[in-house]
Amino acid sequence: MNSGLRIAIIEPSYMIRNGLELTLRKQSGLPISVVIIDNPETWEEAIRIHNPDILIVNPQALINFPVSHLRKEGFCPKLKIWALCSAFLPEEQLLLFDGQLSIYDSLDVIKEKFKHVLEVEGDSAEEENNEEQQSLSAREKEIVICVVKGMTNREIADRLFLSTHTVITHRRNIARKLQIHSPSGLTIYAIVNKLVELGDIKQ
Amino acid sequence: MEQKDVSLSGKRFPIQLDIAMYKKGLYKETDKMSDLICGNYPMVLVTSRFGIKLGFGEKNIGEVCRQNGVDAFTFLTVVNFLTEEIQSATEMICERISVDTLMRYLHNAHNYFLDFRLPHIREKLNEATSTCQPEVAVAIHDFFEQYVQEIHKHMTYEERTVFPYVRNLLDGKVMKNYQISIFKKRHEQIDKKLSDLKNILIKYYPGSGSYMLNSVLFDLFTTEEDLISHTRVENELFTPVILSYEKRLLM
Repeated sequence: MNSGLRIAIIEPSYMIRNGLELTLRKQSGLPISVVIIDNPETWEEAIRIHNPDILIVNPQALINFPVSHLRKEGFCPKLKIWALCSAFLPEEQLLLFDGQLSIYDSLDVIKEKFKHVLEVEGDSAEEENNEEQQSLSAREKEIVICVVKGMTNREIADRLFLSTHTVITHRRNIARKLQIHSPSGLTIYAIVNKLVELGDIKQ
Repeated sequence: MEQKDVSLSGKRFPIQLDIAMYKKGLYKETDKMSDLICGNYPMVLVTSRFGIKLGFGEKNIGEVCRQNGVDAFTFLTVVNFLTEEIQSATEMICERISVDTLMRYLHNAHNYFLDFRLPHIREKLNEATSTCQPEVAVAIHDFFEQYVQEIHKHMTYEERTVFPYVRNLLDGKVMKNYQISIFKKRHEQIDKKLSDLKNILIKYYPGSGSYMLNSVLFDLFTTEEDLISHTRVENELFTPVILSYEKRLLM
């Protein structure tokens, strides 16, 4: 399952950054969303907000802002940083990056590079998905019982010492796992799975 | 939609050219009615909702419509919309469609769901669940009754509020306290719960399966799709047509 790749671009040249953005968004035909980060003062914050999967950055733009800044602990741990090269760079400098694009790459080469990432990402997303599809947790079952008994989110929250926000999140997860969206549908589920008895509900 | 002047033997005739008309798959008046049904069997529901009787012989869509007193343009618009050859109510559609015919179609669809489809499913569902644990059967029965009531409420609103409003509008009477935008805002999805029931039966039904249960499942699948299309016609065809009618009347 591909939900798409989020890309951020840092590149001082207006033409190059906009050209790259257009290429990725319009011509690659891949599920990619792109943001351009153009204000050097707010890089860190912008990256944190957009939380991209890949940051494509011109190494020359990083003179005052070494890659290590972006690697420090707690800062977007899954972020991949690619170099956008317009000239030859020393090997050791390239080693700091997770990948590279050249401004002379053809459309096909660019596509291949991103397709590869999408496939790798897709695999790990699938694994997560499989885990998600497992049956309800004990907590979720408790919540199903409360819903079936006609309790409101507030009442459930009080009973189980949770915030209503957490209750709502649980309910959303339950609906997704079971593919049952209505309380009366949950009633049937609860009876079939012996979470409640009919007498408990029809008070 | 594009208007083009087409030159024919030196003279210029203004001809309305709907680009979509030339797309493969779009049904035309000259297509055989029997081909429409055989190529797309859910369309049998559409013909019956337009009040068109079976037994088409070799007649084409235009002939069958005229024979049954149905506006062929409206019929074809609905057909082509449901087969997704037409994506939205264009200006040309809004101007040419017969609101009366479209409304009769929607009204008949309501009758079909309320008086035939849902009672029929209820009967089969009760029979299919009669052998499973009584508790489960009761829960499923209750669920379905609740759903039927919701659909009743939903469709009764359209019958008693929306349609009379539109009929008045067609007579040139504008009501101050109602507009189709109100309907647009409060019109809800009605297929979700049916899909719940389908999922419950597929994933959690505890009794042993039976041909009857399979048959109920088939009904749930087709009815769900039918309801989705019905809502689409209301939202994306009927509502824009009335909106445009309101605009023209108030201008």
